[in-house]
Amino acid sequence: MTSHPGTFARAWAKAVSGTSYLPMTQAQLETLLHRLTGQLAGALLTEPFDLRAGHRVGAELVAAHIASAEGLGRTVEVIQLRLVRDLGLVAEDVEDRMARLLAAVATGYARALRDRTLDEQESIRRAAMRARTQAERALRASEARFRHQATHDPLTGLPNRTLFTERLTAALNEPGRGAERVGVCFLDLDRFKVVNDTLGHQVGDQLLVTVAERLCKAMGEHLVARLGGDEFVILVERSGGTDGMVEVAETALAAVRTPALVDGHELQISASIGIVERQVAGANPSDLMRAADSTLHWAKAAGGARWALYDAERNQRELARYALSAAIPAALERGEFYLDYQPLTSLRDGSLVGVEALVRWRHPELGVLRPDSFIGLAEETGLIVQLGGWVLAEACREAEAWSAGGAAAPFVSVNLAVRQVHRPGLVQEVRALLRQTGLPPERLQLEITESTMMSTAEEPVRALRVLADLGVRIAIDDFGTGYSNLAYLRDLPVTELKVAGEFVAGLRSPSVGRTDERILASLVSLAHALDLTVTAEGVETAGQAERLRAIGCDAAQGWHFGRPAPADRILARIR
Amino acid sequence: MQRPDWAPETIDIERPSVARMYDYYLGGSHNFAADRAAAQAMVAAVPEAPLMAQANRAFLRRAVHHLADAGIRQFLDIGSGIPTVGNVHEIAQRLDPQSRVVYVDVDPVAVAHSREILAGNERAVVVQEDLRRPEAILAHPDVRKLLDLSQPVAVMVVAVLHFVSDDDRPAELLGTLRDAMAPGSYLVLSQASDDGRSEDERAEAERVYRRTDNPLWVRSRAELTALFDGFELLDPGVVWVPEWRPDTPESAEDAERAVFMGGVGRLGG
Repeated sequence: MTSHPGTFARAWAKAVSGTSYLPMTQAQLETLLHRLTGQLAGALLTEPFDLRAGHRVGAELVAAHIASAEGLGRTVEVIQLRLVRDLGLVAEDVEDRMARLLAAVATGYARALRDRTLDEQESIRRAAMRARTQAERALRASEARFRHQATHDPLTGLPNRTLFTERLTAALNEPGRGAERVGVCFLDLDRFKVVNDTLGHQVGDQLLVTVAERLCKAMGEHLVARLGGDEFVILVERSGGTDGMVEVAETALAAVRTPALVDGHELQISASIGIVERQVAGANPSDLMRAADSTLHWAKAAGGARWALYDAERNQRELARYALSAAIPAALERGEFYLDYQPLTSLRDGSLVGVEALVRWRHPELGVLRPDSFIGLAEETGLIVQLGGWVLAEACREAEAWSAGGAAAPFVSVNLAVRQVHRPGLVQEVRALLRQTGLPPERLQLEITESTMMSTAEEPVRALRVLADLGVRIAIDDFGTGYSNLAYLRDLPVTELKVAGEFVAGLRSPSVGRTDERILASLVSLAHALDLTVTAEGVETAGQAERLRAIGCDAAQGWHFGRPAPADRILARIR
Repeated sequence: MQRPDWAPETIDIERPSVARMYDYYLGGSHNFAADRAAAQAMVAAVPEAPLMAQANRAFLRRAVHHLADAGIRQFLDIGSGIPTVGNVHEIAQRLDPQSRVVYVDVDPVAVAHSREILAGNERAVVVQEDLRRPEAILAHPDVRKLLDLSQPVAVMVVAVLHFVSDDDRPAELLGTLRDAMAPGSYLVLSQASDDGRSEDERAEAERVYRRTDNPLWVRSRAELTALFDGFELLDPGVVWVPEWRPDTPESAEDAERAVFMGGVGRLGG
């Protein structure tokens, strides 16, 4: 018989190709199987029969990636059918030996495949585990990053409002801390907007970064957060008292005060701080921050570059004032305001030349309120326009009725706030009122303060001139205490100066009185030279009245001549 | 490590992975029950599935051999999957140990497994990225470290483009890669094709892959040829993968049963 191991190997290769992926060429496969064919032939003939040779062949097949069930099946088939024949093998008990050889190959193959399967399963499981660990770590990292982004200011890297509020809330809610104290410094740069507006936002941003760094460094362990814009806040979780907090605030102010070199500009800035320091018990974050905010405004209002310490009573007063001003519109609708009038009496003949309208608020809970308790706030909030408009209209309406008596009716003098004068439409408003009420223009006097004219705007001057041309009287109120710029006396259509009460008050004491009397006398002669009349305010005694008359003052107003009262009571005097 | 924004947040081995299904087709055991179930469903729909994986793997082997013979020593294998038998680095580094290989895959388990296989191999590395983010692949520090893109490189996009929808603009993705490749570089491309397939078979296959994160997008020979824009196609062009320079004439028989079409293009210049 002839031996053809090559023929057998080719047939074997053909049988197993396609049963699994083989990372080799057909020729390489044949070479491999040719070698294994030799081993099989050897095993079949060797005495004594060695199972291990069959095992090795099976394992080698698996190692060469001929590693599928089909691969084994076809291998068994091709060996059984062709090995003896193709190789011309002759042995006594060849059938018996063939059976044992096939068993050994299959056993070796199955063992190797099982090991390989287990190894692969283990390795893919390990990979999955590692991937999962990594994904979880990445998730935690991204969560941490997200959390950091959500709680920090991207510009300065400082904690933001969210984190600050968390820390403050935690500090206030920590169990067993009720008796301890906590402090907050609310810091805002002074005139930061000017930096932004003049040097640009980039320089502004850079400055904020510098301030943030300095505050951080100066504050050490205390939390420094940026709440937004140029607002920073320092949290002192364990405060030792107000003195300690003032020290913290002064350190912060000093840190900001050092000139900062930003983009070639040496910037000298300052900050204002509102300090709140209190016991943890009973505190809540939003109240605390609101208090810090108002306190900061006190520091700002006092001129900035300073700290202010929270004062509960002051806050209470401000809150009450705020509540009052907020109630003005509703009070107007409900008709809670009314006017009293104070006589302006001629010093020449004692006649009633005019009355000044003074607004009163019949508050349902607080009783009758005088203007000083609500006008200031109305001016700040702008409600003065609405309220002043009502006063003007009411005064015109009431004053028109006074002429029915026949005798020369007094004019009514109404105070105009700065905002009213500067508002377009003042002329139309007054014109319409005069037309509607029928009040002659010369019986209306508008009192404006010196500060009204301090702005350089031309529009108010033009409006006043139009009103003066109509015949309306224009008086400068509180003359002599403010700006007292004589130039506008030249330009403005003024009819009258009302001289501030403090000059008149001086007339009571002989020593000071002499100076005041001279000032008054000069004012009167100046006014008369300009064709203006002079009314003295705050006249309380007959002596003052007498001296004013001697000076040549035209008219006077004050308790000596009559307190503010309802119109009918004042008018009774002239009937 | 920073999680790439496209990567899944958790590793869910209950969800079939196309990389592990492919390993199953190749006769590997780097797979889980869900992968085997999906792969068996695929085999039921398209009985040639294991054959096509093997044919594609053989195409990859022949292509790498050819490119190594042509002097290529840098390989960027995008969509490398589970690095089972017949890896690019095994083939390339057997021919020249200096050959450098970067594997890229989106599947975190495949990447973790590759990392284990490649541990200690200084000239082969795996990167977790997505074929749909070619800029990110090209900019990846490991890619830049291992590959010198001023020199010719073989970019392998083998058996992965059918997971890229037309909405993802495969031509533009390949264009981005091409623009980064030096003259003399090669593109090896293969993907499942529906040429000569019945509507039923395609629908069934697509249904199976909808269970994975990677739905199937089969393409025609014409579409595949168009994707070699800018490259000179090597003979015999875009063909059923067994027909691409077969070892023996017999191995190219019944080539269309392989489902995969592929080709190799050379960047001129």
